[in-house]
Amino acid sequence: MAPRNKTVPPGDAPRVIDQGSVWILVAAPSIWAAHFLLSYWVAAIWCAKLGRGTTLMEPRWIIAGLGALCIAAIIGLAVLAIRRYGGVFVIIEEITESSERARDRFVGHVALLLCVLSAVAILFTVIPGMVLGEC
Amino acid sequence: MRALGATATLTLLAGCSGRHNWLAAAGEEAQSVETLFWVVLAGAAVIWSLVIGAATYAHRAEAKPHREREARRFIIWGGVVLPVLVVCGLLVWGLLILRHITSDDGALTVRVDGERWWWRVIYDTPEGPVTTANEIRLPLGERTLFKLTADDVIHSFWVPALGGKMDMIPGRETTLALTPRKLGNWGGLCAEFCGGAHALMRFDAVVMEPGAFVRWLEQEARPAQVAEGDRGFAVFEEEGCGACHAIRGTEAQGPVGPDLTHLASRDKLGAGIYAMTPDNMARWITDTHEMKPDIDMPAYPGLQGERLDALVSFLMSLE
Repeated sequence: MAPRNKTVPPGDAPRVIDQGSVWILVAAPSIWAAHFLLSYWVAAIWCAKLGRGTTLMEPRWIIAGLGALCIAAIIGLAVLAIRRYGGVFVIIEEITESSERARDRFVGHVALLLCVLSAVAILFTVIPGMVLGEC
Repeated sequence: MRALGATATLTLLAGCSGRHNWLAAAGEEAQSVETLFWVVLAGAAVIWSLVIGAATYAHRAEAKPHREREARRFIIWGGVVLPVLVVCGLLVWGLLILRHITSDDGALTVRVDGERWWWRVIYDTPEGPVTTANEIRLPLGERTLFKLTADDVIHSFWVPALGGKMDMIPGRETTLALTPRKLGNWGGLCAEFCGGAHALMRFDAVVMEPGAFVRWLEQEARPAQVAEGDRGFAVFEEEGCGACHAIRGTEAQGPVGPDLTHLASRDKLGAGIYAMTPDNMARWITDTHEMKPDIDMPAYPGLQGERLDALVSFLMSLE
């Protein structure tokens, strides 16, 4: 989806996550979903295919490392939501105006909340792996 | 309406007493779950009171503007940071409990296989496995590790007063430890709907003094004492009972149904549902599906009179 109100320098492709685009809304939950899937694959392959017994002591650090990377990416998205969309965590004044600016602020606000939710969801995947450490 | 409410309350409260009461823990593992429950309940009560208090205050107080910064800070800390920290803390606490109760160690190992709808119980001893069914005896104060699996469908092993529960999954082995802290006969049950007689799939978990437990296990390991030419055992063989049931020390070695070597030493018949009495035993043989629907064991309505009496006497002698 191309940005609408942005002046794109000649020769530069339009940015996917920028004012006017809603891709930022699906980015954070997609990172959570990717982390969940990768963690599942790592654990499943380790436990079922590599024949390493019933302990996840080693691959759990892979899951934790992936989690740290994903949370870092989500923090980056949150920064974009604030800088490019003008998003804030708490909207004090209602967004009722029908304008590009108001829509961007709304998208930025929702993206920020989704970033928090996705980061917590990633934590909830990493914590059981770290504490239990068993297949 | 009031009477109906009182009846419903009494019915619910009745579930809070007796040998299935997980709120009066008789084991270390149940105690850890009970403590977690009371902490969560108290925390929930505090949060509920604060929220209702704030709502009441907001409703009654004179409306006045708040500073945006303060409002934003209140929402972020009270609505995001605090809930995340509390829920993460509870998650870690719950996972630590789970790790403790499933860790692979114990002074005694008991394998339990969930069948439709009864429990195959095998004690691993240095002298070899000791097989029994539908009754689990445990030594007081010692951690017993249960290795759980299932024969055909998913069951769940639960002794509310002692600890659990844990799924029993065909083709997989799950573990659960129980450390009883009180003597007694505690109720166990299947906590995962597993078919027609699910609600009748129960067992007794009998906690004994360690010395008495060792003597019981030695007795349980012995073969049955069957007299030469026993009329009841002859009926048992003629009717083909040995094709499904094992009686150690005899030619009956059927692996399908419960091991009957020391059947009469158990308190209950039919997987924890009927008292072990001659009358119930006779009914169990002739009206099997009236007593427990859907089970694999065929009924023997034609077995009557002297032959039935002899068979019941024989089975009731297997102590």
